[in-house]
Amino acid sequence: MGTLSTDVLVIGGGATGAGVAWDAALRGLDVVLVDRQDLAEGTSGRFHGLLHSGGRYAVKDPNAARECIGENRILRHVAADCIEDTGGLFVTTSWDDPAYADRFAQGCADTGVDCEEISVAEALRSEPRLNPSISRAFMVPDANIDVWKTVWAMSHGAQQRGARILPYHAAVRIHRDGDQVSGARVRDARTGEESDIHARITVNAAGAWAGQVADLAGIEGVRVLPGRGIMIAMNHRLVNTVINRCQLPTDGDIIVPIRTVSVIGTTDQHTDDPDDHTIDQNEVDQMLDDGEKLVPGFRGARALRVWTGVRPLFEDAKQSDTDTRDVTRAHALLDHAQRDDVRGFVTITGGKLTTFRLMAEETVNAVCRQLGETRPCVTSTTPLPGSESGEHYRLGERLARKEANLVDEQVICECELVPRSKLEEAMTRTSSTNLDDIRRQLRLGMGPCQGGFCIYRATGILHGLDGLTAAQADASLLEFLQERWKGVWPVLYGDQLRQARLDDWIFQGVLDVAHLPS
Amino acid sequence: MRSELHFDAVVIGGGTAGLTAGIRLAQDGARVCVLAKGHGSTHLAPATIDVLGYAPDLVTEPARALEELIAARPDHPYALIGSEVIADALTWFATTAADGPHPGYGYTGGLERNLLLPTALGALRPSALVPETMAAGERSQLHRVCIVGTPSLRDFHPSLCAANLAAAGIEARAVSLDLTLERADMSALGLARYFDDPKWRARFCAELSLALRAEEHIGLPAMLGLRDPHAVLTDLEHRLGRRVFEIPTLPPSVPGMRLYEILRAALRAAGGRLVLGAEVVSSARDGERLTAVSTRAAGRDLVYAAPMFVLASGGFASGGIELDSHWITHERVLGLPLRGLPDATQPPAPRFVATYLDEQPLARVGVAVDAQLRAECVENVIIAGATLPGAAPWREGSGEGIALASGYRAAQVVAGQANAKQEATTA
Repeated sequence: MGTLSTDVLVIGGGATGAGVAWDAALRGLDVVLVDRQDLAEGTSGRFHGLLHSGGRYAVKDPNAARECIGENRILRHVAADCIEDTGGLFVTTSWDDPAYADRFAQGCADTGVDCEEISVAEALRSEPRLNPSISRAFMVPDANIDVWKTVWAMSHGAQQRGARILPYHAAVRIHRDGDQVSGARVRDARTGEESDIHARITVNAAGAWAGQVADLAGIEGVRVLPGRGIMIAMNHRLVNTVINRCQLPTDGDIIVPIRTVSVIGTTDQHTDDPDDHTIDQNEVDQMLDDGEKLVPGFRGARALRVWTGVRPLFEDAKQSDTDTRDVTRAHALLDHAQRDDVRGFVTITGGKLTTFRLMAEETVNAVCRQLGETRPCVTSTTPLPGSESGEHYRLGERLARKEANLVDEQVICECELVPRSKLEEAMTRTSSTNLDDIRRQLRLGMGPCQGGFCIYRATGILHGLDGLTAAQADASLLEFLQERWKGVWPVLYGDQLRQARLDDWIFQGVLDVAHLPS
Repeated sequence: MRSELHFDAVVIGGGTAGLTAGIRLAQDGARVCVLAKGHGSTHLAPATIDVLGYAPDLVTEPARALEELIAARPDHPYALIGSEVIADALTWFATTAADGPHPGYGYTGGLERNLLLPTALGALRPSALVPETMAAGERSQLHRVCIVGTPSLRDFHPSLCAANLAAAGIEARAVSLDLTLERADMSALGLARYFDDPKWRARFCAELSLALRAEEHIGLPAMLGLRDPHAVLTDLEHRLGRRVFEIPTLPPSVPGMRLYEILRAALRAAGGRLVLGAEVVSSARDGERLTAVSTRAAGRDLVYAAPMFVLASGGFASGGIELDSHWITHERVLGLPLRGLPDATQPPAPRFVATYLDEQPLARVGVAVDAQLRAECVENVIIAGATLPGAAPWREGSGEGIALASGYRAAQVVAGQANAKQEATTA
């Protein structure tokens, strides 16, 4: 790759990092973004998909609630195509303190979160599977947001304005000369090749890994406390509205309908390692039990997949570090010129997905301040590529397109209705031989069969398009199989186990993947 | 309203094991009814009869490897069945297939030597008996091969198949024919119906001939007709002037549907009954004997009473055995006790392991049986097929072999018990 020079080097390609790249590119700055993995493969791609209304924080953290509702309104406009306007309900179940509901309504009123109490009958009419024993119900403007689509849209938008986006490039060294940071050395994870990127400002947007990146710069005391939570995707839209328990935030109190699934979340376990993806059996059981409380019969649905995400919680020395839920969810912007007298380096961490745009705005403001330039932020009024029409995503979009091309278009992934043309386009565009990268862009293999039918097809197409060797194609297939299995086996029961056995039949029986010549 | 029907034996499960048991009992003169919730594994599987492919290394001589397996694993279904019965079952099956509803279509092979056939991915998979339509793809005959597919069939990718065959040392190349069809998306089943039409075959061969080189065998996805595969194969080989073979691919399996037709026809010819869509929903016992099972059919429950039953409802894949969301494992039809479960004491042993291709601890779970394949606690229920414990069919390449041999053996046990009872009554 040689040596690159840029105004701004962003380390971290999650929602915040991509948001910084998009914001800075819109302000006319030259940007390079690197991530050790693919875009949105860390915390951003590992959450339940909720675009907060702010209701969840209305009582506990009014400032967070205000930020959320403000960003919710902006993103509905600028990222319209990435958002499905499901609406949200806060419901008081028999396990919740009935006195909380009035505090919740008052909290929403105080923080400007639109909230309307509806009758239980009305709530049950709109969500028939909801537990009929609920006593109160409040409508709020929760929604779901497709993070991968959002991050890719920002990345494409930034690229159109000259930004260079480099996934699979890990920062291995931060160049620092005295009190000046001047860029980083990065290693291409696929080739092992190292190269230098000179930058006027380096932005540490590594989220839960921000402490590790700050260490590379020799900056002390940036501690990010990873809070690990699990989420389980169930194979149906059990509900079509985001359902929250009306209580102080706790484990297993939210179900988010997103795309073809419903996601229940989440737990909160302290961990020392942001790469810790342990899934505890007790946490799985707890999620299933909590699901039953909101939607009776929850356990009868198929659990498709479980995954963990780590919240990047910036450490506040005044708080205990055992229950991470009590550590502030607010984001932390560290201008190291002010904090440490080190110029050319800014850290942004903490926060939540809903406020990524605001975090990016504040970060690029700090970047401009250090550069001594005045460039106003325009991300609150500039639609992302694909969102220009201002129309929200609708669940039926893929099906409508399929029906329009019923005879002419081949569908490769039936669960997620991924047509061959889209798959070939993504494979050509990204020139990635990693099917998991393709999955995050198209949702390939994310439905009930977890790739049983589409992995072979996609591997065959990839092999044909890219001129891969048989060994490369086989490796790609086996990696994807292993990657799928990772999130499948801890929640494998009932009909989903039957499905997994059918997949075994295909892979180990019909195709005999365990005995490929390579 | 409840109607009670009486049979000499009732078989639960319509896969290879259940149908084999039903046919053998009917051929023995018994009044038999096979109850099936739906189609069994036949429609999913490649339709080759894999007896023992890996142990754990590639098995070249299954007869010898079977003896070793039987000696090493007394809990394996093959150890309970015995090598003589396995051999008899295979011979019987080959005859049944040759006499089946597809004229001239039969199976070749045996237990002396495994046949290595290409998969759709280009791996070489070991089987004991294979349909004649696949025989020319056998490794020892395969020197130069052209793998042919079409973009219309998303379930078969000739270039990847050929590339892996080449990696295994076979001179292989791929041709993709752009067939003009009414849909962009065809299944192998849809294409098999085209291949049943001689005019369509003539056009297909004319187009393919242009792309061929000398002395190449032709590998096609398994789609060479449903009605008369022997005629389709003969016609293609005649028109193309070379050997042609089928490669199994994703479900639904065309050769699997032929296998099902072979077994169904044999059951009918022997006077047995097959009831599809008949899920057993309850059962009645008298002490340690099962007396009847009930199915829910359109509008009414039907009760099937018999002195002997064969349970061949399958394992986890078919839903015959279930792991529920509280992590409890059940045999779903009769609630029979299971064997091979991971230790559930605290802390519980893992049900699955994190590496996909490693052996999964739940793999060998099945209904606990005695040496006669009789279920523990219920003396007149004989277990066959994937319901049996002790095997890991995909890892071993043993699924169809166990289904066939245990179905065959189950019928012997049922007949033996019926005879013993008759003798006791006569005495």
